[in-house]
Amino acid sequence: MDTCPHLTYRSEGDERSFDTERAYCTVLDEFVQPMRADVCNARYDLDPEDHCEHYRAHEGIDP
Amino acid sequence: MSYADYRDGKPLIVTAALTGGVHGKEANPNLPETPAEIGTAAAACEAAGASVVHLHARQENGERAFATERFQAVTDAVRERTDLIVQHSTGGTGAPLSARRQPLRTDPPPEMASLDMGPLNRYRRVTSENTLDTIDELLSEMRERGIKPELEVFNSGHLTEVHELLSRAELDDPPYATLIFGSGTLTRPTPRNFLAEIEDLPAGAEFNTLGFGPHQLPFAAMGILFGGHVRVGLEDNVYYRRGELAESNAQLVERVVGLAETLGRPVADPAEARELLGLSASPR
Repeated sequence: MDTCPHLTYRSEGDERSFDTERAYCTVLDEFVQPMRADVCNARYDLDPEDHCEHYRAHEGIDP
Repeated sequence: MSYADYRDGKPLIVTAALTGGVHGKEANPNLPETPAEIGTAAAACEAAGASVVHLHARQENGERAFATERFQAVTDAVRERTDLIVQHSTGGTGAPLSARRQPLRTDPPPEMASLDMGPLNRYRRVTSENTLDTIDELLSEMRERGIKPELEVFNSGHLTEVHELLSRAELDDPPYATLIFGSGTLTRPTPRNFLAEIEDLPAGAEFNTLGFGPHQLPFAAMGILFGGHVRVGLEDNVYYRRGELAESNAQLVERVVGLAETLGRPVADPAEARELLGLSASPR
């Protein structure tokens, strides 16, 4: 998988605002931790389908 | 590394872990991410009594960065403002070895760099592997560049790895291990486990004490009393007390320095810390 379809970049949301657009998960409706953003962006050997429990739960993929 | 060291007044090294690679401003808006923010935070921590600064680099949007150029910008910002001992992270959950080498390649190299001593879990489905090959490769490059490793011991199995590392590799004295306590893969944060680990350290080792989250202050207190050193900062704990975000890294340094002073433990300045750690007397 490439970038997670539930990832957006926003400067406002979750009752917070930032100077720069940051990773935001539309499944959780919250900004994403920087380390987890590497999963969302499928960087290195990370992949949302394999490594994100929120993606898997949303898509109904068994553990 | 004993209560006798505390009684003898061995100076305390305070490491400030400013940024980290896990959370960012979404967790605490006071966490520094840009080189300028990190440099300013480092200067405030030095003024508050820190002698070592543990550094990570970020992209403009706060996400993790491993590139030498990003670390160069951060380390330059710190060196311009402080005489602190610069310690770069080589941690990198999910990142390949080639990326994790990059923080070692700044000019000049950092005086110290972290070396994670084994695997640990992140979230539900991610593991930071830290294989023996990764450890040995990073250590080899550190030795080539004259960088002292800070051996990060996330649990007692990693302490076994420290002993085995010392049996197969040459490290300058004193070996320096950070004992880490918290949830998940980390050593369970109990005083008994703390005592067990410091009693099991290699002969001659100096230890640093790191408690995550609400364990930061009490484990710092134990580190102070048992002759170790302490690490505090927003990388490891974004709160000052329950429900109250920390205002800055310096606020956390000030508190632990005040605790040391109350307990009568002198706090090392960067020059004294370099001597304790066996580093060159002057900053690079």
